[in-house]
Amino acid sequence: MTDLATIVALALTLCILSFLYRENPFYRFAEYLLVGVSVGYSTVVICRNSIYPLVIERISSSGDILVLIPAALGLLMFARLKRSWSGLSRLPLALMIGFGAGVSIPAMLQARVLKQVSSSMQSLATLDGIVIVVGVISTMSYFYFSRKQEGLNGRLAKLGTYFLMVFFGATFGFTVMSRISLLIGRLEFILRDAFGLVS
Amino acid sequence: MRLLSLDRRIIYILVLLAVGVPLLFRVPLPVKVGVETRKVHSAIDNIPHGSYVMLSFDIEASSLPEVKPLAEATVRHCFQRDLRIIGLALFSEGAAIGYNLLVQVADEMGKVYGSDYIYLGFRPQYVSAILGMGESIEDVFPLDYLNNDWREYPGYASLGNYDDVALVISIADGSLPTYWVEYAGSRYNQKIAACLTAAMTTSYYPYTVSGQLVGMVSGLKGAAEYETMLGYSGGGHRGMLSQSSGHALIILLVIVANVAELRKRK
Amino acid sequence: MMTTRKISFVICFAAGIFGLVQYFSPHPAISSVYRSLLDWVQIIFAFALLVGALSVLRMHAGKVMKRDRHWVYSAVAVASLIAMTAAGFAGGADRGSLFAWLFDNVQVPMQSTVFALLAFFVASAAYRGFRMRNLEAGILLVTALLIMLARIPIGELATDWLPRSADWVLNVPSMSAKRALLIGIGLGSVTTALRVILGIERSAIGG
Repeated sequence: MTDLATIVALALTLCILSFLYRENPFYRFAEYLLVGVSVGYSTVVICRNSIYPLVIERISSSGDILVLIPAALGLLMFARLKRSWSGLSRLPLALMIGFGAGVSIPAMLQARVLKQVSSSMQSLATLDGIVIVVGVISTMSYFYFSRKQEGLNGRLAKLGTYFLMVFFGATFGFTVMSRISLLIGRLEFILRDAFGLVS
Repeated sequence: MRLLSLDRRIIYILVLLAVGVPLLFRVPLPVKVGVETRKVHSAIDNIPHGSYVMLSFDIEASSLPEVKPLAEATVRHCFQRDLRIIGLALFSEGAAIGYNLLVQVADEMGKVYGSDYIYLGFRPQYVSAILGMGESIEDVFPLDYLNNDWREYPGYASLGNYDDVALVISIADGSLPTYWVEYAGSRYNQKIAACLTAAMTTSYYPYTVSGQLVGMVSGLKGAAEYETMLGYSGGGHRGMLSQSSGHALIILLVIVANVAELRKRK
Repeated sequence: MMTTRKISFVICFAAGIFGLVQYFSPHPAISSVYRSLLDWVQIIFAFALLVGALSVLRMHAGKVMKRDRHWVYSAVAVASLIAMTAAGFAGGADRGSLFAWLFDNVQVPMQSTVFALLAFFVASAAYRGFRMRNLEAGILLVTALLIMLARIPIGELATDWLPRSADWVLNVPSMSAKRALLIGIGLGSVTTALRVILGIERSAIGG
């Protein structure tokens, strides 16, 4: 451990890990430092890497003054910071949300609904395919609340919960895997980069 | 039952030992390559040399230790195949992560910025960015990450939109591959693959089964599988012993707690 | 005179209908407006993110001014936010800059360690809460253990049966449940989008 970068990264890593014992001033210091640094980072990336090329550079190099319209609408977003002006921020919000809703309709229908339904139907020729169709229908019936879940509907919904439990169980297993991998990364840093215990 | 009221800090120490101690030993474990990893590998392998591949770093710093070995392996494979990489990020933190990673691997492999790879940086509002690149990549990214005009680079002068991109690989720790599938895939017929954190794996099986994703590689295990296919040992392989012992400890804890509960009930 | 509320509903309706209609029309004029709108939305969104950053700064600066409880930590947040921003604007973001150094050696280690803490918590939670109390909990537990065992090299070496079973679970029952969720969410999202465009659902734009 010779360089300043490793010392700083190690000290801050240990500050965060100290939370495992209990909350303490070192952890709290690191927590607030992280908030400041990450917000500062995002601010710089947004300004340098998005607002500069999309607005400032276009005006200065090609004289594209039309971008002043979205820039002005973007500035209206700052009205949210003052209660009496916050109504103005509805205008850019309305454009973003309305347009987003419009473009999402065909995309959702095609990618999430039609393609998934058609893929389920195509697999019906096999035993696995039948299980898939039963799984899809029963799971969907579990979320169908317009009719009371009793009789055949109730049994189907109950079957759906078993499929859901398989999904949640598998997701839990992978989540454990993910968290252990993150810990491996940090411990590898401490043991190898900071203390040189591993070659 | 004293076992059931075990102090949480004892469990923490056990986790620390189970994950940390195996890191001190270099025990190479053989890794079997899964079907999904093979699919991504062969998708990249079948792209003609010199084609454009888009790597989108849709990740945050929080998942870097898990995703880095996987991203490294994917970048290496693309460079080995002489594919021209277009790097970008749809999460702000991914901007610096992607740039560092591309430059690091490119330097190791003797690849040159502007002819073998470019890095476009970050765009907010991923739906508009994904849809916009289907019309024109230049519209969405007039300049690269360091605010240079990337169209002046000889290797990228002919790059227009998704029609020129053989494959998009979303390196992600969240739901971004879904948006790539929904907007670039369904509207522009763009081929998409995903490199994911393990926690996201189950969410993407419907897309691989339906063919909307050409394949996915996930987690440190996925990285180890990909490294096996490329014939080198990196961060994925290094972590496999710790990953195994970490899982073994949690399985053991669950079994012990259930047995203790059963005995208590009797 | 129309209030901003009324104007915003008109804008939302017009933008929504246009976003939907352009999908079906290859007309060059529509395509041109569509490209402009995609561009505009990104620019507006970039400013919206800055509002978030300014809001965080304002909140912590307010705590420092008022000498609130834990104001010293808020001072750390304010100072680090200003330092990081200044480093980025003054020295650039390329490798070797102070900004890149701070990101690599301050932000990345802390942020990834926060998430690494979850390895400890997930182990503790599994020990305390993962019980086979009924059939549903049993299915959940057995599936989780199967995945944990099958997705590590030791599990793969033990028997070929484990990875094959895990692959089947992931590709068939687990996938079908997730597919049902996707279809349900897809239909729900389409309905919500229509409600937003038609002004029935107004909360999103502060109605």
